[in-house]
Amino acid sequence: MKVNEYVRADSLEEAYSLKKSSPKNKILGGGLWLKKGNGDVDKLIDLSRLGLGQIKEEKDYVSVGAMVTQRAFETSPIIKKIGGGVLSDAVHQIMGPAFRNSATIGGSVYGKYGFSDVITVLLGFKVDLVFYPEEVISLDEYVKKPGFADGILTEVRIYKSSAKSFFKKVKMTALDYPILNVCVTKDKDYRIVVGSRPLVAYLCEGAMKYLNEGGKDIDQAVELAMQELKLGDSMSTKCEYRSHLARVYLKRALEEVK
Amino acid sequence: MEVKFNLNGLDVVYHVKPGEYLLDSLRTNGVKSVKKGCNASACGACTVLVDGKPTLSCSVLTASIEGKKVMTVESIQEEAAQLSEYFAKEGADQCGYCSAALALVVHALKEENPHPTRQEINDYLVGNLCRCTGLQSQGNAVEKYLGGKK
Amino acid sequence: MKKNFRVVNNVTPSIDGKGLMQGRSFYTDDLAQQNSLVIKLLRSPHAFARIKSIDVSEAEKVPGVACILTKDNVPHVPFTRAGQGYPEPSPHDKFIFDDYARYVGDEVAAVAAVSEEIALEAMKKIKVDYEVLEPVLDFEKAYENKSVIHPEEGIHEMFPIGFDPKKNLAASYEMEVGNVDEELKKCDYIVEDTFYSQAQAHAMLEPHTCNARLDEHNRLVVYSTTQTPFHMRRIMSKTLGLPVEKIRVIKPRVGGGFGGKQAFHGEMFCALVTLRTKKPSKCVFTREEVFGCSYTRHPMKITLKVGATKDGIIQAIDCRALSDTGAYGEHALTVFMIVGSKVLPLYNKVKAVKFGGHVVYTNHVSAGAYRGYGAIQGNYAVESMIDELAEKMGMDPIKLRELNSMKEKETSPIFEIMGEGTEGTAMIMESCKLPYCIKRGRELIEWDKKWPRKEVGPHKVRSVGCAIAMQGSGIPFLDMGSCTIKLNDGGSYMVTVGATDIGQGSDTMIAQIVAEELQTTVDKVIIYSSDTDLTPYDCGAYASSTTYVSGNTAWNAASKMRERLVKEAAEYMNVKVGTVEFDGKMFTSGEKSLSLEDLATNRLYNQDTRQIAVTESFHGHVSPPPFMAAFGEFEFDTETFEYKMIKYVTVTDCGTTINPMLAKGQVEGGIIQGYGMASTEEVIYNDKGKLLTTNFDVYHIPTRAEVGELVTEFADSYEPTGPFGAKSVGEIGIDTPPAVLCNAVYNAFGVRVHHLPITPERIFKAVKERK
Repeated sequence: MKVNEYVRADSLEEAYSLKKSSPKNKILGGGLWLKKGNGDVDKLIDLSRLGLGQIKEEKDYVSVGAMVTQRAFETSPIIKKIGGGVLSDAVHQIMGPAFRNSATIGGSVYGKYGFSDVITVLLGFKVDLVFYPEEVISLDEYVKKPGFADGILTEVRIYKSSAKSFFKKVKMTALDYPILNVCVTKDKDYRIVVGSRPLVAYLCEGAMKYLNEGGKDIDQAVELAMQELKLGDSMSTKCEYRSHLARVYLKRALEEVK
Repeated sequence: MEVKFNLNGLDVVYHVKPGEYLLDSLRTNGVKSVKKGCNASACGACTVLVDGKPTLSCSVLTASIEGKKVMTVESIQEEAAQLSEYFAKEGADQCGYCSAALALVVHALKEENPHPTRQEINDYLVGNLCRCTGLQSQGNAVEKYLGGKK
Repeated sequence: MKKNFRVVNNVTPSIDGKGLMQGRSFYTDDLAQQNSLVIKLLRSPHAFARIKSIDVSEAEKVPGVACILTKDNVPHVPFTRAGQGYPEPSPHDKFIFDDYARYVGDEVAAVAAVSEEIALEAMKKIKVDYEVLEPVLDFEKAYENKSVIHPEEGIHEMFPIGFDPKKNLAASYEMEVGNVDEELKKCDYIVEDTFYSQAQAHAMLEPHTCNARLDEHNRLVVYSTTQTPFHMRRIMSKTLGLPVEKIRVIKPRVGGGFGGKQAFHGEMFCALVTLRTKKPSKCVFTREEVFGCSYTRHPMKITLKVGATKDGIIQAIDCRALSDTGAYGEHALTVFMIVGSKVLPLYNKVKAVKFGGHVVYTNHVSAGAYRGYGAIQGNYAVESMIDELAEKMGMDPIKLRELNSMKEKETSPIFEIMGEGTEGTAMIMESCKLPYCIKRGRELIEWDKKWPRKEVGPHKVRSVGCAIAMQGSGIPFLDMGSCTIKLNDGGSYMVTVGATDIGQGSDTMIAQIVAEELQTTVDKVIIYSSDTDLTPYDCGAYASSTTYVSGNTAWNAASKMRERLVKEAAEYMNVKVGTVEFDGKMFTSGEKSLSLEDLATNRLYNQDTRQIAVTESFHGHVSPPPFMAAFGEFEFDTETFEYKMIKYVTVTDCGTTINPMLAKGQVEGGIIQGYGMASTEEVIYNDKGKLLTTNFDVYHIPTRAEVGELVTEFADSYEPTGPFGAKSVGEIGIDTPPAVLCNAVYNAFGVRVHHLPITPERIFKAVKERK
């Protein structure tokens, strides 16, 4: 990968106009996946001077700047208060601290990586994404719609929740990508998420609807989730075993949060 | 392009390409204690401290450290020497390729959490691979080193 | 025999650990000359292809390109990259560049340029016209396949090893002691099964690295992260047609080898570029190249038939093996023979043993030397089968091992028949504490409480498994080391050895041996190792030879030095040699005394001045095996089959541990490397033959999170032929984890997993198939 120019943006406006001016101009997140990307970059746009590294507690939600690192996120007392600390626990399981000191929450969310643990666990909550200049879109919508946003992701808003929650990352070693990850939360309603399918995380809305409308049979809910989930093969794991894992962990998750 | 930063207490100016990674810049400029193991943010041998935080220098663009403080093992010589004695007692050093990075990570852990549990030590060091020792002895050494600190 | 040691067998810090942790920069790439030309290798995108032509004209025009090497402009001499003694037991089936590319990643051209960026840019402009051929990607279909991987002329074996390239055979071997078929007929119990093991990666942290320069005499100086500097010099000389005296190979600090650095990597390219351009050059493999373009462990299929009589005695073993050497035959025969020779003698009560099979070429990454080679594959199969047999007989698997395994003063006929590439050497086990190792390990793991399994919670079960193992200590009559000791003023010693420290701590171990014999301390012994100009010869670090061979060498040299010092002191004091006593610091004879320091000063500056120095060599006449008993406890999820190691107990007989902490490090490092092969190190090729698991994010070596409690003990043992009673310990640790885990999985779920690694997914499948 070759970079022609490194630009430290002084304003979001500048960053945005650079981004829009050429498909070869890219926003720099944590930089960890940059090397794996294909193709050269004309202008690499650094957002680090734009104050996007804060975690702030607002009335209804927690505002997480897009440049907040995974490590800052995981260790934040504000984040630990959400959903019994499941967000912290999940992010803590990603690689080592040196990796998480660079990886940003914005980068993890924006890229919609199939293997993302961040997206899976965030989908367990009501989350809005704020894009410059003016779009606010729920994470639920963002992962569903194809392609990437046109604007610059500036903030991830996680709505406060004291949900009972369950997160599991199935992996070979601590430095592995997830073979599968599962997040289930229950506040007033259930949210059921399966990620690393190997495609990007999926919200099992059929199973959620069943439970949220008063359905009590966990096996039935698991069955509904399995019917709507599209699981596949990845390099190391066949669909059959991945499905087996999904079934087992969905059931355990639902039993734990019920 | 020019990048100004503080390296081990000295202000330096590096002339780098916009897409150059800190690991390559440091080694090109003679800082050879930082090792290239995988060049894919997966082994930890290239770890340096940026503003005190363990950072994978193979995956951080040099341009992005403008104005920051970078520490390599050269800035913690005494501490590395002390830690190595604990490694020696536990039989936890072999090829040494991961050692300097480990010393930096242990330094950062001590700053962040002076009295960690064994689990916290393992969690903090987990990104630093070692193929030689079987790993338990390294954990023992770090546990004793930090436990023995006043 | 045994005495109170002062230095050996005492805890001694490794002599270089502190400097390395402080970041002293003495690894190969740290020492590359500034402004070295950077060499990048153009590699084949095809698993098998004939190279019709290579056009480098556009690439050569790129400013900054100094030299491009292809098959059209390099010497065409067949050699083996294996890094062995001479004549090699590996086929000479490799050219620096050839008309064929035999795996995805095979070298096609080398570009040397002033920067990596320019080298890569130029590489894109090289036009290669390939005729794509049908690759052989299934090693079970390689033998006599219509695709012949080595059809070229000129390749050959150095002596008969069963090399038959037209049949895709790199080597083959057959042996039989007694009559296996007859003995099996008399057995009451027979078990038969087949086991597959994978192409494990060495995954040492320092990538393959070398650099070259010309010295002021225009001699070629190569720095290489190698286990075998002297073999490297010889092979370069023969292949490049450059006299040995024109080449110096220096091994700096090595960041882990595990066998992977026994062989050649970029050295031939560096040498040629520097010889042609007269400029320094360097070649550092990317991590992807280390995984995909160097060497792997030999994948194997091993089929065993084991028979026993009612009394619990194993009467016959029939072992058929098939080994995949990949594109080239490095260590093809030697690895294969070890499957028999370092595993089967464990069960020496048998009346008959048969072993044999093929080592085939395929279009995979070449296989080569790897810690525990042959032994780990064999151990997985044999030690799994022993458990199968025990179950069939209704016997405790430990009892079965105790009844049938090697004891002190016993032997096995296999030792004489099978060596490593050649015939073997008969030997009696002068030291074998295996029965103690088994008994002690059984206590430490609390086998009787834990075997076979215990439920420990909802969908959680714990089970245990065991295995025993043996290795060797160098190759008798072949592996040789040498050592020079000279006395410095001040009374310290300069020790130069060919022995190759690759991170295992051999420099420290040798310093201890010298210090012990000369009654001094390790800080008075300065070690310089592995430089073909400055140190005497050593075969290198492989075959568990360093402690036994190089250690004996150092011991010989130190005791010769001691004699010499006493003689010099006697002369100086004008007394008879027999009257002089030496305590490491002072010589005394009656009333007279002389300090070592004064003797040194005197001999260098004052009277009858001369350098006091000795050089000694050693080669073994036997290869005394270390022994080990290993026991693992694992916790399994009964629904998902995920598991973790709870505890791994080993008790090892490696004779005297010269450095107890380094020995422990060798055992524990071996165990975790073996556990990686057993559990997480999945090797994946795509259907075009491209290796996909080529970095640490997709090839999973164990991390701190996967390691359970390691309990590592040593038996009290003394090997009379070893230095201060020592045997080897470098490889044996790696042998047992596949079988231990396989047996524990069986004890947890009643299924046997026949493929490594034993992933939760494989257990899931085995359980499903049983249903």
